[in-house]
Amino acid sequence: MMRSREFWTVVVVGALLGGLGVMLAVWGNPENSGICVSCFIENSAGALGLHDNPNMQYLRPELLGFVLGSTASALLFREFSSRGGSVPLSRLFMGIFMIFGCAVFIGCPIKLFLRLAAGDLTAVAGVIGLLFGVWAGLKGVAKGVDLANPKKGSGSGGHLIPALFLLLLVFFLVRPGFLLFSSKGSAAQYAPWMIALVAGTTLGVLAQRSRFCITGSIRDTFLMGFRISAIWGLLAFVGTALVMSLVMGRFHPGQYGQPGAHLDYLWSFLGMGLVGWISVIIGGCPFRQLIKAGEGDADAGLVVVGMFIGGGLAQSWGIASTSAGVSIYGKAAILMGFVFVVSSCLLFRDRKFIEL
Amino acid sequence: MAQDRFDKTLWLALLTSLFSLAVVLTLNASTSGDSRHGSKELNKAMDREMAYRARVELINKLYGPVENLRTNGHKPEALLKLDELIRTYPGEAHGYMLKGQILREMGAEDEAVASYVEGVKLNGDYVDDKSPLSRRSEIQRFVDEETKRIGARYAAEPGNRSIAVLLQKNNYLKSRLAGGCE
Repeated sequence: MMRSREFWTVVVVGALLGGLGVMLAVWGNPENSGICVSCFIENSAGALGLHDNPNMQYLRPELLGFVLGSTASALLFREFSSRGGSVPLSRLFMGIFMIFGCAVFIGCPIKLFLRLAAGDLTAVAGVIGLLFGVWAGLKGVAKGVDLANPKKGSGSGGHLIPALFLLLLVFFLVRPGFLLFSSKGSAAQYAPWMIALVAGTTLGVLAQRSRFCITGSIRDTFLMGFRISAIWGLLAFVGTALVMSLVMGRFHPGQYGQPGAHLDYLWSFLGMGLVGWISVIIGGCPFRQLIKAGEGDADAGLVVVGMFIGGGLAQSWGIASTSAGVSIYGKAAILMGFVFVVSSCLLFRDRKFIEL
Repeated sequence: MAQDRFDKTLWLALLTSLFSLAVVLTLNASTSGDSRHGSKELNKAMDREMAYRARVELINKLYGPVENLRTNGHKPEALLKLDELIRTYPGEAHGYMLKGQILREMGAEDEAVASYVEGVKLNGDYVDDKSPLSRRSEIQRFVDEETKRIGARYAAEPGNRSIAVLLQKNNYLKSRLAGGCE
């Protein structure tokens, strides 16, 4: 395995994700949030006016880079393929609930491991939750839960999300008056935009080439153990983030006083559990959905649209947690998310192969 | 993609639309850049900034008398006035922050922690360096002192529920001061 090009590509992507995840926070992004897809989406949704939290409004260039880097790579290597039509509305809702899960935990699966690598022990509940969620999703897949296969063809509209993100990049550069940018709060903390955009684009290109995905790595490890490359990418990610946190003096082990963290362990577990479960059903974590949307996958594009709606609602409806803990709306959103996922599993289950 | 006349017509319509869009945007940019016509451009950020500044001014005006009482050494009177203001404006964090400051100065540190927590929960601007309302350095110093003091008390009486709650509140302030995305 160590001689394969795929192995080293995944390891390099993992290491780069971990290194840039820490360094982007050093360069200006919020603490432990150098890379966080859900935070970036909540910030960007705010910048577009989808919520009114004045501390969470900034069109994150990293996010634009992820999608546009993936598109550039897919076009360059002739892998851009417009496809879609696999239960689109359900995917949109799964995108919404995936962001609710992240908002309750305070971070996406990438940030989960960045928090852990910075010594935030409250993230352990999230790790266990994510493992549980992926395991539950896999159980479902093994028992016949399967979304319909997408259809290929330009009619799927796979070019629309890359076009939208290109437009957002123009907005970011031109800064029309309807865009909102926080002057205080966590969204006012950002790395220099050129560095952020280059970092995002580089990761977008490499993630498209390697198909790296946090939940996908865990899923594949459950299925095939340590024989697959993906888990080594995940380990490289966590290891590099840990080393960089130590080197940059950002490793503060403990449960208390951690940045952007709360002590409601049960809800951290459930939040990440929901994200893990949904990720297995729709084929990838929030980061992977962005990369797939960039490759022309319209189904992933609808998940991305759902994530933006979720980002707006998480802030507008008070679903997002704070250091003070999880709000009642956050708890209700998570439970509704589980109702939605379980009922989706019932609906999308192929029962042809049930053992009688 | 351009096999018959209809395809070609569509391509022409697409190019015309794109060209028109570019012309409209260019003309609009040159008009709004001309100060003689005045900028009618939607600028939500500026509107919000002005509203925020106005709010800060209003807060300073509302709580000015309390601040005067505090600086003149009339702290119990200042607390009474603050309680009245907190009842009138229960969602406004500034009263809790001032109360925390006065209680701290009076040596009631436990109550001060609770008051700061109430204030920061209502409005995180008080621990934000970039906000004109920021009291970050004052709160940071206080939390650093309290971490040692409450930690020592908790070590001496680990089963004491009220100290555990106080420690939890102090940890909340530590977490907010540590930053993060929320």
